[in-house]
Amino acid sequence: MIYKVSYVVKGGQYPGCIKNQEEKPVVGGIVAIGPKKFEVIEVHEMMPPRDDFQFLHATVKAVGESNSE
Amino acid sequence: MSLTAILQHSDLFQGLNESQLAQIMNISQERKYNQGDVVFAQDSEGDAMYVIAKGQVEIQIKSESGKKRSAVYLGEGQVFGELALIDQGKRSASIVVIEDGTIIYRILSEALNQLCATDTAIGYLMMRNLAKDVSFKLRHQNRLVADL
Repeated sequence: MIYKVSYVVKGGQYPGCIKNQEEKPVVGGIVAIGPKKFEVIEVHEMMPPRDDFQFLHATVKAVGESNSE
Repeated sequence: MSLTAILQHSDLFQGLNESQLAQIMNISQERKYNQGDVVFAQDSEGDAMYVIAKGQVEIQIKSESGKKRSAVYLGEGQVFGELALIDQGKRSASIVVIEDGTIIYRILSEALNQLCATDTAIGYLMMRNLAKDVSFKLRHQNRLVADL
């Protein structure tokens, strides 16, 4: 399975990222977006799966940042 | 990773069989980039679309005042430059490579359009997948706006 993931950084002050990956993103996982690393805080389906592809959205925050608004 | 495996890793080529993928491979050119390389500049003429096999690129948009902002990063399996293929317009953004050793495949619009016209099954699948990719990018942008 290939996961096409839309990563959006909480707060919208940093550009997001779209990438295809073989591992499903999980809450607590770390992802590199550009030169920085972020922690996944939420994952959900963006579009219905088709063939070998799943289409996901993940919200991330800077590593070490609080989850509160 | 072979080019076939790379193409199968990109949803742009979803549904194409091995013979059809081989035809896409025949019109693809591999290029290697380093950090800071510009794949193409905003407002330049668009004559090709690109598929990222390895690494990440930054989509930069420059305002009329000359201020640059980063719109999104694209990683493996992603397509860029496809708008010029669809509407023949100028490039709407600049593409800057952010990782050394980034590998990108370039597919000339003319060759792809010719292939799609010759083999309409490829044409249908490619256009369907392109539409789906544009839809995904719009949904991504909607999430960004919702999060502001």
